[in-house]
Amino acid sequence: MKFDFAFAMEIFPQVLQGIGNTILVAIASFIGASVLGFIWEILRRSSRFVRPVAQLWIDAIRSTPVLVQLYFLFFVLPHYGIVLPAMLTGVLGISVYFSGYIAEVFKAGIDAIPRGQSEAASSLGLSRPDTIGYIIMPQMLRNIAAPLGAYSVSILKSTPYLAVLAVPEMLGSAFDVASETYRYAEPMVVAGILFLALAMIGVALVTRLERRLGLTPAKDL
Amino acid sequence: MTPIHELSVHNNAQDTMQAPAIQIENLSKWYESFRALTDVNLTIAYGERIVICGPSGSGKSTLIRCINQLEVHQKGRLVVNGVTLVPGMKGLSAIRRDVGMVFQHFNLFPHLTVLDNCTLALRRVRKLDRREAEAVAHANLERVRIPEQADKYPSQLSGGQQQRVAIARALCMKPKVMLFDEPTSALDPEMINEVLDVMTLLAQDGMTMVCVTHEMGFARKVADRIVFMDQGQIVEQAPPSEFFTNPKHERAKLFLKQILH
Repeated sequence: MKFDFAFAMEIFPQVLQGIGNTILVAIASFIGASVLGFIWEILRRSSRFVRPVAQLWIDAIRSTPVLVQLYFLFFVLPHYGIVLPAMLTGVLGISVYFSGYIAEVFKAGIDAIPRGQSEAASSLGLSRPDTIGYIIMPQMLRNIAAPLGAYSVSILKSTPYLAVLAVPEMLGSAFDVASETYRYAEPMVVAGILFLALAMIGVALVTRLERRLGLTPAKDL
Repeated sequence: MTPIHELSVHNNAQDTMQAPAIQIENLSKWYESFRALTDVNLTIAYGERIVICGPSGSGKSTLIRCINQLEVHQKGRLVVNGVTLVPGMKGLSAIRRDVGMVFQHFNLFPHLTVLDNCTLALRRVRKLDRREAEAVAHANLERVRIPEQADKYPSQLSGGQQQRVAIARALCMKPKVMLFDEPTSALDPEMINEVLDVMTLLAQDGMTMVCVTHEMGFARKVADRIVFMDQGQIVEQAPPSEFFTNPKHERAKLFLKQILH
C-alpha cells in the first residue's frame, strides 16, 4: 500500500477535530502539573517530618509509568466510589505524573537563588509567605522558564496517552479514521505533523517568554 | 513635600529608653563540634556605635547574625529592643523589622527596581500604601545620596551604589538598630568611601550601629567602642583612642600590627 497524499488531505479535517481537546488537555495538565509540583516542592522544604514523605511521594510518582497511573485512576478509583469523566481523569493522571518532574525543576530553580535573598527578606521582617511570593517565586520563575517550557512540550506529547481512556483527542481521531478505512499510514502521519506543528509553536512561545523575562525584569510588586 | 528629617530615622535614645538596645549574656553557638561563639558578653546602649573587628573566623559575623537570629544561638541570653530571643521562637519578624541589616554582598532583590526594593517591606510589613511607601523610600534614597537611581534595577548600579541602596532599604523600616556585616568587603577600593561616608552620616544622626568591618579609619572616626574578637570570644573592648594606641591583648596587638602595617 503506497502513501496516498490525496487521502491524507481528505482525512486531515477529521484528524484535526481532536486538536481542540489535545490543546485543552495539554494546557490543563501543564497548569495542574505546575501547581502540584510547586506544592510538592514547598512540602519538601517544610518541616523535617514532612520532607521524607514528600520526597518518597515525588520519587513514587516518577517511578511508575504514566499509563499505569492512568489505568489506575480510570479503573481503580471507581471501585472506591470516585467516578470522574474520562477527560478529567486523563488531565489528573498527566498532571500528577509530570508534577514529579516539575517539582525537581522548581527545586533547581529555588536552589539557584542565593541564600542571601531570603536572609535579606527575613531581615526586613517579611513573613514567609511574602518571602515566597515576592522574592523567591519571581526569581525562581526566571530560572526555570527554559526547563519548564521543555516540560510543557513533553506534556503536549503525552496527551495521546488519553486515547487509552477513549478521550477524543488527536491520536484518537486518527485511530477513528484508521479503523474506518483500514489505512494507518496517512492518519498517523497527519497526526504526527499536527503534533510537530503544535510543539514548534509551543517552543516558539517559550523562547519569546524567555527573551522577555531576560530583557525586561518584572516591574510590578 | 514632607521634610526629610521627619521621614528619616531618628533614634530616641534620650527620651525613652534606659534599657540597652542589645544585651548579650554568655552567648554560645556551635556547629557540630566547632565552637563559633563562646560565652560572649556585650551590652550596647541606644545611640552607641560599636565596631567589631578581629581575624577572619573569629565569630564577628556570627555574633551580629545572632542579633537578628539569622543564626540561632544554643546557649546564653540575648535581649534585643527589650525582647528576649529564644532559639526557635515564633514572631521573629516582629523583632527583625526593627533591626536593619546590611550584608557584605548587598542582597538586593534583583527582580525589583531600587524603589521597589525599598518599598516592598514598607507595604507588606508596615502596611503603608504605595504613595506613603514611595515617599519614605525617596527620602531614604536621598539620605544615601542616590535619589536619581530609583527606577533602575540593582544590576544597573555600581557596587557602591548597590550597597547604598541596601542601606536605604534597611533605613526605610525605621530600625532602632542597624547591623552592618562587612559592608565594604565586597567593594572595589574606589567605592568604599562613598559607603563609609553614608555610614558616618548615619552615625552623626545618632543611629545605633553595630558594624563588623576591617575599615580601621572608619572605626577610629566613628566608633564609641571597638570590640575585638578572637576564636569566638571577645578578648578586648575599648574606645578607639585606647584600642589603637594601647591594645592590651597580645592577639589584638598582632592584629593591629598586621592590619595597620
